[in-house]
Amino acid sequence: MKKIILLVLVVISGYSGFSQNKTPGKINRFTDLTVAAGSGRGTAAFSYVHNWELGKKQKWEAGFGARLTSYFGSKQEHTTAPARLARGTTVPFAVVFAPQKSENWDTLTVQRPWSNALNLSVNFGYNFTDQWSAGFNIDLAGFTLGRKTAAILTSNGITTTEPAAKPSAFNLLLTGDLDHGSLNSEFFLKYKLNSRWGIRAVYQFYFSEYKTATAKQVAPDGTLVTRFRQKGNNLGAGLAYHF
Amino acid sequence: MKKLLTWSIPLLVLFTACKKEKTNTSVVSMDPVDTTAQLAYRSVFTDGPYGTTMGVAKIFKKNNNYSLVLDSFSVNSGPDLHVYLSKERQPVNFIDLGVLRNTNGTQVYTISGMPDFMEYKFALIHCQAFDHLFGSANFY
Repeated sequence: MKKIILLVLVVISGYSGFSQNKTPGKINRFTDLTVAAGSGRGTAAFSYVHNWELGKKQKWEAGFGARLTSYFGSKQEHTTAPARLARGTTVPFAVVFAPQKSENWDTLTVQRPWSNALNLSVNFGYNFTDQWSAGFNIDLAGFTLGRKTAAILTSNGITTTEPAAKPSAFNLLLTGDLDHGSLNSEFFLKYKLNSRWGIRAVYQFYFSEYKTATAKQVAPDGTLVTRFRQKGNNLGAGLAYHF
Repeated sequence: MKKLLTWSIPLLVLFTACKKEKTNTSVVSMDPVDTTAQLAYRSVFTDGPYGTTMGVAKIFKKNNNYSLVLDSFSVNSGPDLHVYLSKERQPVNFIDLGVLRNTNGTQVYTISGMPDFMEYKFALIHCQAFDHLFGSANFY
């Protein structure tokens, strides 16, 4: 828990310092609707973005926003979520590059997932020209609402029914498998059609997390696991309105 | 506007490319049953809370390999119907033998491994997506 609090403080202080040291430039404000799809699943995300243009030429931009992502699908496989089981380390940032411990993974097949995650986000971008830009954004923290759905837990070839799997309620970016909940992130290429409208091609990396109530994985250390995560790669398109 | 349309087409393709598991309802299945196999267990299907199921569930054994035969079988159509061997009538611990291939006729499903039928004593027709039981047969 101390690590979590420390990381959040570092992130917040880092970003507030960032905005104080730079001379604020032009503000780039827009809303965006993006739909994306992967294998048997889809997302629809509505975002508000508030970016400051940075640097001498104001090519760079960074800022905050909020995003509501609705995730839905059919028979989506989620695997063991806790980083101490899923990865070789639990050190923040290093966990992203640590080897996967797939021998510890069990699979929760969520039959009809549907969740709605509202998160604060951080955004970065670079404007190549007046029309073309590219960037990255990622959810930081928030909460998720969603319906309960049947799921099947497969553990060492044995299948058990989970009658009411539900999305994890709270979301927090802690890097890699340390994350909690449902978090959206995107790499994108954007083309501005005019001063108001823009379109985006999006590669989306979406973390979905479900919790079980009755079916539980018994980990090798004897603990019970109820959190299962899907890291989904999706492709999509977005429509942005600047104001 | 043309550009928007250009973007929407690949997106529609992505959304419609999702896989669907579907049970055949238009023809009557007539899987060949191995007459040299030994009948080990037999039970008549009864309706579940969400379906009307008729026919006989038979477990055949040959050379330490088991198969489940749904004989003179019929069930009303439903989404995502699977054939289970289960420890409970409402499945908690089960073996999924696969998607129900047909709502009518005789069908054979291979059982992998050597389950203990004292434990896995139910053959079920179960809607996996909604966790709804359509029919069950109890071997004990």
